[in-house]
Amino acid sequence: MNKDIVKLNIPKKPSYISLVRLTASGIAYKLGLNIDEIEDIKVSIGEACINSLSFIEEDEISLIFEIEDNKLSIKVSGVKENIPEMLDEKRERELGLLIIKSLMDEVIFNEDGIEMIKYIEDDSQ
Amino acid sequence: MSLSVETIFSEKENKWIFFPKGEIDIYTSSKFKEEVLKHYNSKKKDIEIDGKELSYIDSTGLGALISILKRLKEDNLKIYISNLKPNIRKIFDITELDKLFIIRGEDSE
Repeated sequence: MNKDIVKLNIPKKPSYISLVRLTASGIAYKLGLNIDEIEDIKVSIGEACINSLSFIEEDEISLIFEIEDNKLSIKVSGVKENIPEMLDEKRERELGLLIIKSLMDEVIFNEDGIEMIKYIEDDSQ
Repeated sequence: MSLSVETIFSEKENKWIFFPKGEIDIYTSSKFKEEVLKHYNSKKKDIEIDGKELSYIDSTGLGALISILKRLKEDNLKIYISNLKPNIRKIFDITELDKLFIIRGEDSE
């Protein structure tokens, strides 16, 4: 089974999130995903980074794209599923998680952050 | 970074119309909210956000819209959102914000 890996680290700053969205779109496009799927991935990775900005202790957010024949997996460090009550942006962060869970095929939370998976269907015309 | 907001006050419809062009995201959402509320505070009338040139919105942008909505509700005024692109409309559907805002556009008519 082939697995290509692309890694990207960004500073913990809002201004870099558009770069991440652009990179994710580029990778998804390269895999032959359709426009809707590319958009789903772009939106989800944006939300994951916003979440991570609120919680990550390190100075950088690490992103790992794992590309296999039938799926794209994206790991983002620092993402938390449980949003603390006292956070001012609690509602926004919860909307972000809802968006990710709705748009990606599989979402896994662990100690390091989040893993989001989109399956690639072979429907090349 | 990549957001500009054109604003007009329509005397005919007696409301503000905002045309955000680009992306309302974590980098631009607070600027967008300030811009809208600045105009609103100078003349308290209904607001329409015309999304025909809005290419992207994230949860911070939704948060900005929600806080604008709250401000208008205090004054018993309405916020309309129109001409959303399908990808953005999808975000409103997922988050059920389509129930909170009055959304106008081809697919709802």
